[in-house]
Amino acid sequence: MRRDWKPCPEWIPVNKDEWRGVWVFMETFDGFLHEASLQLLRPGRSIADKLGVELTAVFLGTDVKRFLKEPIYYGADKVIYVEDEKFSQYAPNVYGEALIQLIKKYKPEALLVAGTLRGREMAPYVANGLQAGITADCTDFSVDPETRDVILIRPPFGATMLAHIRTPQRRPQIGTVRPNVFELPERDESRTGEIIEERVDVPPPTIRLVSSEEIKREEVPIEKAEIIVSGGKGLGTPEGFKLLEELASLLGGVVAGSRKAVDAGWIPHDRQVGQTGKSVKARLYIAVGISGASQHLFGIREVQRVVAINIDPEAPIFENCDYGIVGDYREVIPALIEEIKRRKEARAVEAATK
Amino acid sequence: MGLEIVVGIKWVPNTQSVNIDPKTGTLIREGVPSVVNPHDLNAVELALRLKDRYGGRVTAISMAPPGAVKGLEFVIGMGVDRGILISDRVFAGADTLATSYVLANAVKRLMPIDILMFGQETLDSSTSHIGAQTASWLHLPYIYYAVDAELVGDKTLRVRRMLERKVEVYELPLPCVVVAAMKSNHPRPVKLSEKIRFKMEKPVEVWSNKVLNLDPNCIGLRGSPTIVAKSIPTPSIPRKKEVFREGDVKEAAKWLVDKLLEEEVISL
Repeated sequence: MRRDWKPCPEWIPVNKDEWRGVWVFMETFDGFLHEASLQLLRPGRSIADKLGVELTAVFLGTDVKRFLKEPIYYGADKVIYVEDEKFSQYAPNVYGEALIQLIKKYKPEALLVAGTLRGREMAPYVANGLQAGITADCTDFSVDPETRDVILIRPPFGATMLAHIRTPQRRPQIGTVRPNVFELPERDESRTGEIIEERVDVPPPTIRLVSSEEIKREEVPIEKAEIIVSGGKGLGTPEGFKLLEELASLLGGVVAGSRKAVDAGWIPHDRQVGQTGKSVKARLYIAVGISGASQHLFGIREVQRVVAINIDPEAPIFENCDYGIVGDYREVIPALIEEIKRRKEARAVEAATK
Repeated sequence: MGLEIVVGIKWVPNTQSVNIDPKTGTLIREGVPSVVNPHDLNAVELALRLKDRYGGRVTAISMAPPGAVKGLEFVIGMGVDRGILISDRVFAGADTLATSYVLANAVKRLMPIDILMFGQETLDSSTSHIGAQTASWLHLPYIYYAVDAELVGDKTLRVRRMLERKVEVYELPLPCVVVAAMKSNHPRPVKLSEKIRFKMEKPVEVWSNKVLNLDPNCIGLRGSPTIVAKSIPTPSIPRKKEVFREGDVKEAAKWLVDKLLEEEVISL
């Protein structure tokens, strides 16, 4: 930092030594406690332990008492909650103002927010209200024991690089993390912790929720699926997905797609795998006609076995798969379907004659 | 009458392999071809649809090096009325807080406005921060993920937005900040007549910090709470890389099903 540096006069003064503790925001916008928030208690616990401070879970809502013990079971030391009618409908700036007030009072050094769509909408508002640093889509954290700085690690620039972000002067250090990047910690119902009721004084929302409609979907969301058959630009046509669906249903799996397949309108955005889509943790991921760009590979890091089917023998996906078949998917997939059906029949006959 | 709409656009490197300055940890832009961030074009399109329906004016703003005038030329070609390029060396190296501070102060000079719009995220860093941060500096209500918007009376904007598993409708008082959903409202093509208008009228102003007059400690690297301490290549996941390259497709299918059954990755 340059010697003549002074903090921006529009920033509230921060004395780093007064800021202690790690917070995780508990999202209950839809009337249930979002699992993505509980997942953050895993990195939150680890940061808090390295810093030697408490891990606190924070709730805002109208009816959150029934959830308060959950974060403690998953590793939090403390819970702070506010119940207020102003939270009856979600407005990002109202939830944001409430968090800003609580943060100014308790001065935690770090805050983690689940990177759901609403989490990503609210968290930057909180950061600005405190003129704090914020890092989106963190995938890992470390701690510098000397400065107590949390290093927030994220993959910008097409996921080829991991940037280590540091906030040397400001507190709290805020990070969002996409759902399913971290696994849920072990649940231990014997754990206990302090529960504190708080109040905030926020203005009523000036924006109004007029209507809200669930989009009904029968399919298993891809982040929960054990087996995924995924298609890319190499399918050539949207009809290609019919073959993929046939294979997926035969294996008890679901269909997903690459960014290019989503851009082409072949598959909805909520089934996109990759850095700008979802991270998946399937046991088996079959990539069909997907070249294997770094952003896509980033979304399948946690997959146990990756199978690649591609007509291009030079496609980078073959350098990043467990098993690959070079060939036209219009021949390979039907052959696979045939082979699996044949084995299933053989298995059935075997079982029947035993 | 009509709506006064401002749209923020970002001029981003159009490549997968961007280099990072190892000293400052910031992006090296030299020699990399750039484009208007594609997700910002969905915001430009939504703004133009509102203008088509209610009349008014659309102004595009961008904080970028001088070359980004080409990006403003592009959206003016789509039908945007004028562009403002916020460009000065002292703005360089900004994180999202310092960037939003500059944008908010530029928007203050354009007040009164009705709607400030942004795209959902950018190709190069995809943080989704700027909309909420700029709204925060300006103390304006905001909403993300808009797919559609219409006026209700003359002081309220009704916005339909998409969440993971919900469609919601919100009403916001004007002025407000609206962030357009990715892939919503397919951007219209550039029109030759608009390009000619750009060449004739040159409707782009360049604002340096001489115009905005912001404290040097609030902008650029100095005004950024976060710094990129270092960037390292993403470690790759070890995979088996067994590839069936040549042979009968039935043989290949048999080989693969054997492997997957052996490892109990699939069951019959």
